Amino acid sequence: MRRVFRLRFARRHLEDEIDEELRFHLAMREQSLMQRGLTAGDAHLAAHKQFGDFATVRSSLLTLDQERERSMKRANVLDELKQDLAYAGRMLRRNAVFTTVAVATLALGIGANTSIFALIDALLLRRLDVVRPRELVVIGEPSRVGSLSSGSPRTDLFSYKAYTELRRRQQSFTGLLASGRTPRLFMTVGDTAGEPEHPRGRFVSGNYFHVLGVPAFIGRTFGDEEDANIGASPVAVISYDYWMQRFEGDRGVIGRTVRVNSAALTVIGVARPGYDGEIVGGRTEMWLPITMQPVLMANHDLLTDPTDSWFLLIGRLKPGLTLAQAKGEMETLIPRALMDISPDREFTDFVRNMTTSDIRVADGSRGLSGMRRTYFAPLVTLMAGVALLLLIVCANVANLLLARATARSREMTLRVALGAARPRLVRQLMTESLVLSLLGAGGGVLAGWWGSRVLLTIAADGGGPIPVNVAISGTVALFTIAAALLAVVIFGLAPALTASRVNLADAMRAQARSLSGGGMGGGGRGRRPSPARMVIAAQVALSLLLLVGAGVLVRSMWSLQHADIGMDRDHLLLVDLDPRAAGYLGERYPAIALDLAERMQRIPGVAAVSFSENGLFNGTESSSTVGIEGFTARSDKDSLINWDEVGPGYARTIGSHLLEGRDLTVQDRGPGARVALINETMAKFYFQGGPAVGRHIQLNPDSAAYQIVGVITDAQDHDLRATPSRRAYFSILNPIEVGPLRMIVRTVGNPAAMANTVRQVVVDRDRAIPIYGVDPLPALLKSNIRAERLVAKIAVGFGVLALLLAAIGLYGVMSYAISRRTGEIGLRMALGARPADVVRMVVWDATRLVLVGLGIGFLISLFAMRLLRGQLYGVGALDPASIAAAVSVLLASGALAALIPAMRGARVTPVEALRED
Amino acid sequence: MLDQEGGLVRGTLDLLVLKALSWGPRHGYAVAEWIHTITESELLVEEGPLYTALHRLEKKGWLVSEWGYSEANRRARYYRLSTSGRRQLRTEVSLWERYARAVGRALAAQVPSVA
Repeated sequence: MRRVFRLRFARRHLEDEIDEELRFHLAMREQSLMQRGLTAGDAHLAAHKQFGDFATVRSSLLTLDQERERSMKRANVLDELKQDLAYAGRMLRRNAVFTTVAVATLALGIGANTSIFALIDALLLRRLDVVRPRELVVIGEPSRVGSLSSGSPRTDLFSYKAYTELRRRQQSFTGLLASGRTPRLFMTVGDTAGEPEHPRGRFVSGNYFHVLGVPAFIGRTFGDEEDANIGASPVAVISYDYWMQRFEGDRGVIGRTVRVNSAALTVIGVARPGYDGEIVGGRTEMWLPITMQPVLMANHDLLTDPTDSWFLLIGRLKPGLTLAQAKGEMETLIPRALMDISPDREFTDFVRNMTTSDIRVADGSRGLSGMRRTYFAPLVTLMAGVALLLLIVCANVANLLLARATARSREMTLRVALGAARPRLVRQLMTESLVLSLLGAGGGVLAGWWGSRVLLTIAADGGGPIPVNVAISGTVALFTIAAALLAVVIFGLAPALTASRVNLADAMRAQARSLSGGGMGGGGRGRRPSPARMVIAAQVALSLLLLVGAGVLVRSMWSLQHADIGMDRDHLLLVDLDPRAAGYLGERYPAIALDLAERMQRIPGVAAVSFSENGLFNGTESSSTVGIEGFTARSDKDSLINWDEVGPGYARTIGSHLLEGRDLTVQDRGPGARVALINETMAKFYFQGGPAVGRHIQLNPDSAAYQIVGVITDAQDHDLRATPSRRAYFSILNPIEVGPLRMIVRTVGNPAAMANTVRQVVVDRDRAIPIYGVDPLPALLKSNIRAERLVAKIAVGFGVLALLLAAIGLYGVMSYAISRRTGEIGLRMALGARPADVVRMVVWDATRLVLVGLGIGFLISLFAMRLLRGQLYGVGALDPASIAAAVSVLLASGALAALIPAMRGARVTPVEALRED
Repeated sequence: MLDQEGGLVRGTLDLLVLKALSWGPRHGYAVAEWIHTITESELLVEEGPLYTALHRLEKKGWLVSEWGYSEANRRARYYRLSTSGRRQLRTEVSLWERYARAVGRALAAQVPSVA
């Protein structure tokens, strides 16, 4: 409104000037014509005639003047900006210490934001580096990149049969690719008998590279021939990075043979530089044709059984088609395809109960990622924390500026006296802040780049590096600039307004007062609180939020780390094997398991050995709907249980307790041994405290039931946070199916120390058995709560920083207040106050300020902490202990920060105070 | 070659205005009078375009205007040359002289072709 008015006003002003100028001309001309004898009327007419088209001239003059005005204004603004910048540069250079502290603090705050945002960008926002990523569509659950599910039909993952059927019949995509996990790869190059290497691999369909639009850098990528026949394409494509790193960029690698899991493969190509797969946070180094799976995983064909689901599908939309259209097609096509690939009753039932929400079709431009789901909440939490940290940083810089504003009041007074308008002063001061902030942003980008790497190292938690490509992308740079600009407004505006609030009369009065020597300034009672004090209170409030947040997150992590998980969490060692690959099938499977257990048992320091199919925190999970003797299920959900196949002495080995019956033994071997253990949760659910031993479980309607021989206490099996599920344990010595084998070794001392000895036992027994991992349970548990540990550690870091910044801020404000109150203190001392009284007075003054901040912070936390609730385990969002700790830490550091200036104040002598004025 | 600006060759009026102001500040009417006198009313047919020229030259930064009082003590807008205006005048004068000499030589020629 106001602007429009001003424009009109400017125009009016120009019009008036033009009219006046032209009127003057016409009047003069008339006058001269009249002097030559014309009558007034004739002169008027003649003057106009001689002038020409008045209206046209007038309007063209107005246009010209308006244009001139506008360009002048522009030049003015630029000019002033140049002046402001030059002036700001001079001021900041002159106050080098102030500038360094402010820029460093800002760089810290902005850098912390940049580093977290760089991770968010890399993991959650950035699109795949492929041709037109927006056309890609994911079919299946994109977080299940490393999953394999057997035994029942699914729609979050697809079997090979389902994939080929969908690919053949679909109409929405120009191409549909499949991608699935590989087991750990063991690669040897040439005839080097050295340690095998483990490139990160992925089984992909032949059209993979064509659908994504990723060409070969050298050699070729896969084609349709790789899909043609099972086991007929012993080839591999490697990533550019892997080629550079493992083969030193040797072009001779094309055509070379490498041995991967005992199959000889020819390297046929290196993918385009920069492309490292469709899995975000899971850099792929080697692509293998899906058709080679049965060769690479001997005796374990995963392509034939229509329930072996382990593929995620990515389609490229045909031009003009939308995601919704593709989803529509899949909703009808997937059920039909599933029915057609298997006439099984299980499939028919599954499809009948299926709803459209079971069909997962989503935007694929950001690829697949298991990490995304794990780290989404942690990253958002960290982003919130780091934003708080930036606010605290802003508060600190604002305080520095406010202190300086007072120091500069003389300069401001002078400038006002010389005629500077207040908006001009504000602009000048804001320019200084802007320069500070941009310098801070520059430092922040560097700090952020480094910080995100540190974060990844912390996130890796001593394990392998997390392959996420963090980079200062355009998005990240924009974010940083936005953060810096926002920071300018937050920290710069109040000081600029304060500093420029110059009242000449006041300024003169102040001079007079200082002459009369009665300065009783400072933050005394009854006065409006100074902006600096309000900033400190805000800072304390924000710090409280961060500290309470850090406190509950740490407590939650601690609970997770020390929770009773129903087993001997400190002394177990898990050995992940696949004897099938070495030909241990049928009767040979239980035999090798028992043999290995016996050999491991003989190692000194080993307390007990058992084994299972699914393992603990390192493996797979089986689940089925079962029939329970004497229990009528109301729905399928009621009869769903998780199960495992375990060896003799399983309960004793993991450290679980028998509540009823007996543990499994070596006698539970052979086709007759249809026995099972169940956990407490399962016993309670189905038998409500009645005896469970002797009851029966029907795992498969077509075969004999399993008799329950024992009930054991609940144990967490694969996820620390999950509530224990109903779980049954069948004897692996009478295998339901031959699967992987996870040896469980209970040690007397540190399990990590036994890892090599245990591994050697397997190698000595048969070096053909692939060992996928030897992991102490504590390490597996640690990686199970990687995200929680990351957040807790970083939150503590932020909390400490916040505390430090708040303390520095308080120290600064109190020192300043003391220096202003020297006169008052001197007077008090002269009137008989002891130094202790002065200290008490100052510390109390600071404490009051902290208390106000704590009060505000507490009120905010009542709401803010609720947002954390979903991420907490075993601790409430408003954990009294965390709040109490945060409050006392803040109070203590507040008092400490005030103590130093207070002691200085207490040393003031009345004489000194007099001399000061 | 002749256009709307008071029937002058384009740019001529600008040159005359700059010249008129080379002796010091004048208001628009005085500039008009000087042009009438010096050119015996041959060049400036209409006076309106003179003001367009003045404002255009001001926009270009060659003139600076200020309000002052005329001999008759009336408020009038005075124009004066800026430094860049003075520079412009010198360039245009020399350009004009070269142009006029060339055209003059051509019109005085006696030989039909150079070949």
